[in-house]
Order: sequence, then C-alpha cells, then structure tokens
Amino acid sequence: MSGVFQPANESQISDFIRDSAKSNNPIEVVGYNTKAIGRYIQCSQTLDLSKIKGIVEYMPEELYIKVCANTSMLEVMDLLKSKKQMLGFEPVDYGYLYYGKSNYGSVGGAIGCNLSGSRRFKAGALRDHLLGFRAVNGSGEIIKSGGTVVKNVTGYDLSKLVAGSYGTLSVLSEVVLKVLPEPEYSETFIIYNLDSLQAINAFSKVMKTSLEISGACYFPKNNINFFRLNDLDNTHSVLALRVEGPKKSVIERVSSLQSIFKEMKKTTILELYQSKLFWKIASNLECFSNSPNVVAKISLAPTDANSFVKQFCDDPIIGINNKYFIDWAGGLVWIEIDNLDPSYLIIEKIKKFCTQSNAHMTIVKSNMTYRSTGSFLTSASDDLKSLTSRIKKSFDPKSILNPGKMYAGI
Amino acid sequence: MTLQMPQADELVLNNKENIILDLKKISSNVLFENEEITPYETDGLTAYKQKPIAVVLPETTDEVSKVLKYCFNNNVKVVPRGAGTGLSGGALPLQDCILVGLGKFNKILETDFENRCVVAQPGVTNLAITNAVQHEGFYYAPDPSSQIACSIGGNIAENSGGVHSLKYGTTTNNVLGVEMVLMDGTVLRIGGKNLDSEGYDLLGLITGSEGLLGVITEVTVKILKKPQSVRAVLIGFDTIEDSGNCVADIISKGIVPAGMEIMDRPLIKATDDYAKAGYPRDVESLLIVELDGTESEVDILIEKVLEISKANKASYHRASASDEERLRFWKGRKAAFPALGVISPDYICMDGSIPRNKLADVLGEIYKMSKKYGLGVANCFHAGDGNLHPLIMYDSNNPKELKKAEEFGADILKYCVKVGGVLTGEHGVGIEKRDLMCEMFNDNDIQQQLRLKKAFDDKNLLNPGKVYPILHRCAEEGRIHIHKGKTKFPDLPRF
Repeated sequence: MSGVFQPANESQISDFIRDSAKSNNPIEVVGYNTKAIGRYIQCSQTLDLSKIKGIVEYMPEELYIKVCANTSMLEVMDLLKSKKQMLGFEPVDYGYLYYGKSNYGSVGGAIGCNLSGSRRFKAGALRDHLLGFRAVNGSGEIIKSGGTVVKNVTGYDLSKLVAGSYGTLSVLSEVVLKVLPEPEYSETFIIYNLDSLQAINAFSKVMKTSLEISGACYFPKNNINFFRLNDLDNTHSVLALRVEGPKKSVIERVSSLQSIFKEMKKTTILELYQSKLFWKIASNLECFSNSPNVVAKISLAPTDANSFVKQFCDDPIIGINNKYFIDWAGGLVWIEIDNLDPSYLIIEKIKKFCTQSNAHMTIVKSNMTYRSTGSFLTSASDDLKSLTSRIKKSFDPKSILNPGKMYAGI
Repeated sequence: MTLQMPQADELVLNNKENIILDLKKISSNVLFENEEITPYETDGLTAYKQKPIAVVLPETTDEVSKVLKYCFNNNVKVVPRGAGTGLSGGALPLQDCILVGLGKFNKILETDFENRCVVAQPGVTNLAITNAVQHEGFYYAPDPSSQIACSIGGNIAENSGGVHSLKYGTTTNNVLGVEMVLMDGTVLRIGGKNLDSEGYDLLGLITGSEGLLGVITEVTVKILKKPQSVRAVLIGFDTIEDSGNCVADIISKGIVPAGMEIMDRPLIKATDDYAKAGYPRDVESLLIVELDGTESEVDILIEKVLEISKANKASYHRASASDEERLRFWKGRKAAFPALGVISPDYICMDGSIPRNKLADVLGEIYKMSKKYGLGVANCFHAGDGNLHPLIMYDSNNPKELKKAEEFGADILKYCVKVGGVLTGEHGVGIEKRDLMCEMFNDNDIQQQLRLKKAFDDKNLLNPGKVYPILHRCAEEGRIHIHKGKTKFPDLPRF
C-alpha cells in the first residue's frame, strides 16, 4: 500500500488506519500541507484530510463551534465575525512566514501545532479553547473526549494532549472550540525607543496594574520597518500595549497608561483600525515574511527574556544580524537566525540556554537538511522522553501516525 | 458499602506489619494505629469509609519518590490525598493501600510578581495562595467554594473551578507547572514559569486526572491583578425559563460576566433563611451576575445587564451599591451547603454540566424525579459555564434513602448527558460517578483512557478503582449493579 489516500469521512479514516496498522505502514497525516513544522518524515503513505471539512454546528449563545477538523481556519474566523465573536487565542497566520502571504491553513493543523497568537498570555493557548474532539487513533479506533461545555472534568482531558501533538497520537476528525465575544473596541498604546531591558521592565510594570492588557509586544529598531501604519513611526523600537473592551473603558485605561509612562519621551496611540492591523501584522509574523532562515520561538519566564536577547540577538559575534521580537508580555521571544552556521552551533546554544532556564524552543521554519537531521524542539529529559514514548504507544501502538515528527524515534 | 472496589491483595494484607516497618525506614511520619488513621478513612463524600493499611505523611519529594518506589516494587496500592475535601470520593482509601497525605507539603516556596506566579507545595490551601499575594493586589483566580480548606494539589488533581471560571477559567487554565512523582518513583518537572512547554501537554493531562497518573509535589500557578471594580446584580424571575433566556441574552450581547449564578426557589428560601442575604422570596429563580473591570466598564455593563433582564421579564432587580452589599448578595449563595444542612439531615451534591439553554428543561425533569423518588431537591447553577449542582436531600438514618438519593443523582446525570452535557463539571468522577462513565463514553473511549493510564502506571497501583469502571469493558447497562456482593459479570477480567 502506498500513495495518497483522501478519505471522505471519519469511518474511511478509521478503515485506512486500521489497514495500515495491520500492515505496519507508517502514515504522514496532512491537512492543507502548506507549512513544514516539525521534523521531516518520509512515509510510504499520505493521509490527506482535504475532504474532512465543514461547519458542523455553531451555537453563539453556548459559546462554541463544532467543525470538521480540516475546515479552513479563515472560514471559521469569518463565520464567528458575522456574529461578533472570535477565537480567543487569536489564530496565527503562518502563511506570511512560509510564502509571504496569508494562509491560515486548517483548524486541525493549528490544533496539531497548538498555535496561539498575541492574546495567549491573557486568554490562554489554543489548547485552552479546545473543548472536545473526535479522532481516530493509531489502531483505527474512533475515540472521543470532552464535549461542548466549558466546565468538564469527566475523564482525562485528552483535548490538552492532542493539541500540540503534531498528529502523532490520533487523526482528528471533528473538534469543538470555545468562542468568545469580540471586544467592542480596542486601542494600542505605543512607547518608542526602549531597549529590550527597558521593554521587559515596562511589561512588568503594566502587568502589575488592573488595566487588563490583552497584547504586549516589543519590536527592536532593526525589526520594525515592515510596519506601514499612518500613526506608527517605524524608525524606532516599538513597545505596544493593547487594551480591549467597551470604548469608554478602553479610553480610560489608555489614559491610565499615559500617566503610568508619563516620563517616556515619545509615545503614541493607535486607534481601533490601526490597532487591529498592528496586532494582525505582529501576530502573523509579517516581520519574518517569506524568511529563508531558521525561525524559532522561545517560551520562557518573562524575567529571562532580556538575557536571551542579550545573548542571542544583541551579541556582536553571534547575534548581530539575528532579528527578534518579544511577545506575550515578555513570555515569548521570536528569533530569525541569520546565516546559520553549518554545524548549527547557535541552535545548540539556544537549546542549552533553554535547558538551563527551563524554557522551551520550537523551530517553526527551517531548511530540509535541518528538518531531516536536527531536533526542532529543545529535547526533553530522558524520563520525559520515555513517558512521551509510552503515551505515543498508548494511542498508536504500531507508531504509524507521523512517526518521528516530534522526536526522532517517537 | 454497595460500591465495588478493586479486589484486595491478600499478599499485601498478610504482609501488613512488614510493609509498615519498611515504610518507617523511609518516612518518620507513618500512621497505622486505628485512631490515628480514622481521620483519613473518608473525604468529602462521607457516605463511604475505608481505612487503609497505613497513612504516610511525607515531607519531601524524595520521600514521596521513595515511598512510591517501595510500593511499586512491592505491588502495594497508593491513594494520594490533599486536604480531603473532594466530593466524589477520589481520596477514599482502599483496604490494601497506603494513603499518601500531602498535608505536610504546606509551604509557599516563592511569590514571583515579576513573572506573575506563585510556586507552592501542594498542601497549601487555595485561599492561602491569594493571601500570600494580596498585599500587592494580586489573587489566584479559581475559587472553589471549599477554598478555605482545599489544597492546591487537590485542585490540580480535580481541575477545580468555582464561580468565576467563565471569565477566568478553571485550574487547568491557571496552572503553569508541576513537579510530580510517578508510581515507579520517577520525579518529573513539567512546565514552570513559562507559558508553553514542548512535547505533549502533560500539564493539561495531569490537571483533572484525579490522582491516577502521578503525585503532585510542587505547583506553579498564575496570579492575576485584582480588578479595579467589582459589582453584582441580583435579578429575580417568575419562571426558570426567563432566567435561562436572560443568561443566554447576556452572553449573546457580548458580555462575559466574572460570575453568573442561578438559584431555584427551594435554595433561595433555604439560603435566605440561613444567611439573611435579603433575597426576594416571591421569585422562582434568582440570578446573581457579577461584573468586574475598570469602574466605568463595570457601570456600563451593569446598565446593560439590567436592560437585558427587563427585556426578559425580570420581576426583581437590584444592583450592589457597595462592596458590602455585593458580598451580601453572595452570602446566601456561598452558604448553600450549610443552609441545606439545617433543613435536611443529609444531602448529596451533584455536579453535571449542561448546555446553558437546557436549564429549564433539565430543572423541570429534576423536579419530576424529585416527586418520583420522594426526596427534596434544591438547585444552584453556575449559569455562565453551564455547571449544575442539584442538592438532593435525604436522611442517612433511613438506610433506604441513601440508595434512593444515589439513584436520583444518577438519573440527573444521565439526563445531563442526554441533553448534550457531561457527568461532572468540577467535582470529578471519583467513585461517585465512576459507574456512570459508560453513559458518556463508549468502550473505545474508555479503553483509550485506560491505556493512557498504563503509560503512567502500568501496574495500576496509583488510586485504582477511581474514575473508570472496575470491569474491563463497559457493560451494556452502563452502571454496574452489585447483588449480594457478586458482580453481574463474573467472567470479565479485573484489574
């Protein structure tokens, strides 16, 4: 058995996987197949989920939407928008990173990679918004977990486990996502000319207030000129703080930000339209548009963000041409590594930093050579890897679903 | 006890003295005398009691690891216990188990305002975390009603919620990291002060796993800055339907209240008699809506909520003018348990989740069941997140009534599942709802979860007999009936 199989429904997915398990034939699972996150794997068979799409049920008052796993993320977002609702985790459009243009991909793909945007530190990650799912495990059995209600502790929370599992545990067929009302209004307060340490301090200061900031990012001077907004000066470093809610409250809170940061020499306010555009451009990684380089994200304690930047982005030897920006109020650093050395020394150094400071790196774009040989994650401890391997086996005993996609050998 | 638990291991029971001697070599806190272990024989589900072989109260992670490793090597079952406030029997000991109590893990290790988190030992109470950070205006968001006594480790085991989970999430959305010990003694650190970790989301999996996958020895939780302003509105309705419609309308108008609670007439009366909260007595349903944010935001939202309630035929409404008044609104609701204790010798608290729009339907059905079983019932409902708590009143002095109350409860939960809800929103499955799991999950689903359990605990020694039906496969009826101590399916394999 080899080639591409395009099932029309869940039961066909199940039959295909059951047969593949019997014959020990590994399967690469693809949705839109437009991104190349994770390790490069070669399988004799491809399970193409193109036909597993469509909105199953949208209940705005119950705050959930149920869709087939390979439904277009954009279609879901547009539908929610028509009812003034949204996905709270702020879906990320990696299309810019890969092709220089928009391509949100599928809902299932985003779930597989647990992709969350700038609102993550306030609203939670994608995994926090996955209420339930149906899927086919590696033995071809149809399984389900969770439901449509937000409060549910009935059995293990497998939704958390499948989000970010890179399709290595099961093939999702149907998913239920929590939705939230769109904020009525938003503005973004901008502070110019801070260095990375000052930026981290500003994040800390603002997170100690009750202003309910829902976006907090920092772009250094060498990574800002891709913004083209009337009210944004793109010749200086930019620290941006987003405030959302009823208009009156937003205006009051932005004015509180102005008084908190009154000693700052240069600030500005982006009103609704430009504010929305700013966060779209930031969250969608347009700063790394069509990047030919390795791009990685590092999830770390906000207090470690500055030392990471100093070491890997500001250092005159290894970091000077690396572009970065900080998101999640200091909890996430994005880095584009310029001129990757052939022995990937910098990646090893980043991994070492991560291990020492309990941070985690995920490479979201790299070249084929690295994807085939290197590890796109920090690499877990042996105990954690051994547990990971046992968990994989509990869903996929023959290791036929995306084998090696996450860790070599798992 | 009518409930079937895993068969006791005779070898372990016969070796009791040696096991205690061995454990004493590992820990200086081993309790085994009858009167010493009596306090540990039950948890918040007091209808069930069982003494373990011994209770160990370790003080360090290393001690926990050694105890578990010893038990693993000697095939001794382990039941972990936090504060013992759980309502589903998750910490009920087994006859042949060692109960590992985390009560001595009671220190807050670090308050880190720069990274907005607290690192604590698992025995610290939920409220103590807020108390440790409130001087800087911070708090820990999940607030189960037992927060004064329940432990943060227990909260993680149960994925505890509270009245504010619509806006602020449950435990799973507020925990950043744990240190845990697997049954074979392996110590793992998962997460930390960062938001996302690589690999499978073990943190999300552990949260709500009811002590079946590992023993938590340290937690890192997110703390939030207290909102500038909090106000509440009390709204009365002549029908449950109207209050349900009002809730749906509030949500569809884009408002996410911090808390939204409904009480039915029997509970309004009981709580108001008990707590003198000043509730209107002539309404069928009472809705409390709490809104938080900046002052002007809260004022705007209060106006909107009042407008919506009028459009939904509210017969009574009152917005809190001061924080004292707001707390008075909550006083009755928060006293639901003691209030019922006054009017009924015993009650069991159920915990289904349902789609919000099914409230009137489900309550209607519950009242019918109440007549059928001849037992009183009062209901409170976390309307924001669809979590329903029917409180079934019974008298344990009448031996038939507990059984009747349990059957009544089971019927309610089955109905919750039938309308698209789930068996438990925040109390956990434990032993209480274990035999109803097949109402919600089919055999494939259950088997997948059991295989996952084996990935963590292949000998099934950690808290066995909880959450999942004892039988290997879901029996057709869903619930396992025990008659004269014999199971209906004697030929099926056991754990």
